[in-house]
Amino acid sequence: MINNKNPQLQIYKEVHKIHNEGVELALHSWLPVNADAAIFYFHGLQSHAGWLWEVGAQFASKNIAFFVLDRRGSGISGGTRNEIADAKTTLKDYSTTISYVRNLIGDEIPLSLFGHCLGGSFLAALMHHPLFTTHFDSAVFCSTWLGKLHRTLSINERAKLMNNDNKNMWDAELKATDFTDITQYTNFIEQDDLAIRTISQNSRKVLLDLESIYINGNSYKFETLPLAYISGKFDPIINLEDAHNAFSEYMSGIHTKISFPTNKHYLFFTNTRNNTVNWVSNFILSNQKRNYIAKVA
Amino acid sequence: MNKDKKWIAHWEKRKVLFIEECNSERNKFLRDIAHPKATQERVLKDIIKISKNSLYWKEQNYSSINDVNSFREVLPIMQYDDFIPMLDKEVQIKGAVLTCSPILRWLKTSGTTGVPKKVPYSLHWILNYRIPAMKAMWANYYIYHPEILDNPYATLDTQTVREDTNDYLQGVPYQAVSNRHPRLNVFDWNPPWFEAPWFNSNVPSTYDDKMYYRIRHLVGKKMHFISAINPSTLLAFRDHIEINKEKLVQEVANGTINGESFEEPNHLESQRLVNIFSKKEFTLVDIWPSLSLYSCWFSASAGLYQNSLQQVLGDVHKLPFMSCGTEGVVTIPIDNSIYSQPLAINQAFYEFVEEDVDLESKLKNGEKVQTLLFNEISAGKNYHLIMSQATGLFRLWTGDIYHVDRVVNGMPWIHFLHRVGVFHSFTGEKLTEFDVTSALKNSFSSVNKDLGLYLCGPKSGKLPSYAVVVETNDAHENISRKISEIVDQELMKINIEYESKRSSNRLSQIDVITVPENTILKYIESKRTTKNTNQYKYKPFQKNVDFLHELNLINN
Repeated sequence: MINNKNPQLQIYKEVHKIHNEGVELALHSWLPVNADAAIFYFHGLQSHAGWLWEVGAQFASKNIAFFVLDRRGSGISGGTRNEIADAKTTLKDYSTTISYVRNLIGDEIPLSLFGHCLGGSFLAALMHHPLFTTHFDSAVFCSTWLGKLHRTLSINERAKLMNNDNKNMWDAELKATDFTDITQYTNFIEQDDLAIRTISQNSRKVLLDLESIYINGNSYKFETLPLAYISGKFDPIINLEDAHNAFSEYMSGIHTKISFPTNKHYLFFTNTRNNTVNWVSNFILSNQKRNYIAKVA
Repeated sequence: MNKDKKWIAHWEKRKVLFIEECNSERNKFLRDIAHPKATQERVLKDIIKISKNSLYWKEQNYSSINDVNSFREVLPIMQYDDFIPMLDKEVQIKGAVLTCSPILRWLKTSGTTGVPKKVPYSLHWILNYRIPAMKAMWANYYIYHPEILDNPYATLDTQTVREDTNDYLQGVPYQAVSNRHPRLNVFDWNPPWFEAPWFNSNVPSTYDDKMYYRIRHLVGKKMHFISAINPSTLLAFRDHIEINKEKLVQEVANGTINGESFEEPNHLESQRLVNIFSKKEFTLVDIWPSLSLYSCWFSASAGLYQNSLQQVLGDVHKLPFMSCGTEGVVTIPIDNSIYSQPLAINQAFYEFVEEDVDLESKLKNGEKVQTLLFNEISAGKNYHLIMSQATGLFRLWTGDIYHVDRVVNGMPWIHFLHRVGVFHSFTGEKLTEFDVTSALKNSFSSVNKDLGLYLCGPKSGKLPSYAVVVETNDAHENISRKISEIVDQELMKINIEYESKRSSNRLSQIDVITVPENTILKYIESKRTTKNTNQYKYKPFQKNVDFLHELNLINN
């Protein structure tokens, strides 16, 4: 059931075409008529904006505009499939699009950045990047394991990865049943033609590069930014304890942490979806506008 | 509060608001009828607004469309199949392909080629069109029969079912329009009986079990109204009482449903049922003397049920269901007229083309087709309907032919006549369902016999011919022989190509076989699938004559 702070439930789903570095990117939006706030969502490795069809409308019904960029090579965006563009290009895609969103919603609307799983790693890298200058007001990391490659691979393994230029596919071996236990969604994940199930070996090098940005750039401080780390009680895909430690280390020890009652990875495809949407909405709406721009401390 | 009290509390709480909401939508419709041109312009503006930023409209460069003229000038007339690539894309990327309103559900409906269609059920359309149309229609029932809300058991609504779906299109539920489960938002369909034990989502989904649930819960109660879409549901309802009469008598006496205790034993009612069932025939009015209203479709092939309905419902007052398909509402009743209703002027943007225009060829050849607007059509004529709904399906050639009965204060009152292209043709005679129905009606009336349901199919042979099986009150071989000749003559009058093929001996005489009343009804019921029972449609025209063999098997 769509719940309603938007009494007429006027919601517009649109796809905006953004051009950057020779590629047409698809920015999906779910817009109420007069938004009280906005979320910019970073999707993970496998998914794309289409996965948010229920969540986007739910946030919009609460008067929160919801934006998702199909990352270059994902969803219906242009770019090479199964490949993650180099860190600079990828971050430029995000910063350009978020700037577009800020222009669209205006300066007065609080904007929250929301990273899911690997999307959290893109978000963390962007927040630590000096070229990202759009002001935002809060950030939520969901089921994210920041620095996963750095924390699980040895120095030798990472060095090997850094020198790996081959484009053979690496299978992330993601199982739909790790994401959700609801048949409607496991079937969807398995049938989704737009999902990315493998990436090229050299794309993993990019992931390592992105991690380096926030691991080595920890002179950026986010103590004054409303930050949240949310997840299930257990997660079959990430080591939650280490993931939370990493978040505290790379982002900030000062944050709100909450775990929802599910043992599956993709909260929005579990029975905790409504609770998660409600909680995130309250978190965003209860935090005043900060006009936050990350700065070196 | 126990379960029983809960649904009654919901009924009590919803009743007044429901009446207010329904009356409000009816009043809006009446106001819109008074200003039809302005209403059509308003609806079109809304359709343009909700689609103009969609991917398809942007790709096709439809940005210049801003009024009635540019809408008709720029957009092509489309058939459902033309939309399939866009609908497939919408399924995949979820949003903004044809409409900028989120698609919350896909509506499943039968397609002409056997592949089910998928109709977008968008938030905007649900809130502003589909649910308001239902409310306006229910207000009409209430105005004529306020007793339908005088107690929690007063209304049996079979128009809507509430069933869990197991069918999805890439994660999005795919179900019949009549399955309004789960509710999608606070404005979704919520009549007072929404939580009633014969209506809620715990009711078994198989057709027979669902029917029994309805009967068992309502027997002995002061029921006033049975609402259905297809008349066959009303007849099947009575048949299910017949089939279950011993069980029903026992369960009423025991206060059980399928063996489970659920109310006080009622020996008096049980004995009353015994007395009713001891008679050779019984009607629904025998079971529910309080019954004062029923509703269903009465036009086109649904009209063939008239005699059967008379038998099971006697003189109970009837009001019509609106003309609609899954794709959208076309008429909404505003009075007690049975066969004609005003165009649902605030539901869609409507265009018309005279029936004798070969729309299919013209569209295939890419010819520009000049359409007529609602205020350019004439009483007494038949028209193809082209409809633009706020679902994203613009200028959709529905394949339906409507007859304009009259024009009142600038508003056309119309009724559904038949589908386009539903015809048989051995040698180009293009015999339509309408031709055969008209010939049968005229022929049976000329010999003072009742006409019930019929099935018609093409029969190959040395000389091809048509076979028709017809229900009548006096089925007999001699009657069949006689009526075959009359129907043949009538068809020659109605369809000149048929006449030409008959005269030149390229077609054999039509073979009309009369069968006792309810024979076809039972045959059709036996073919119902267990799911989507509201979606079942009686189709007089069959692709072949298998029904001849199957009916013989049943008779044996």
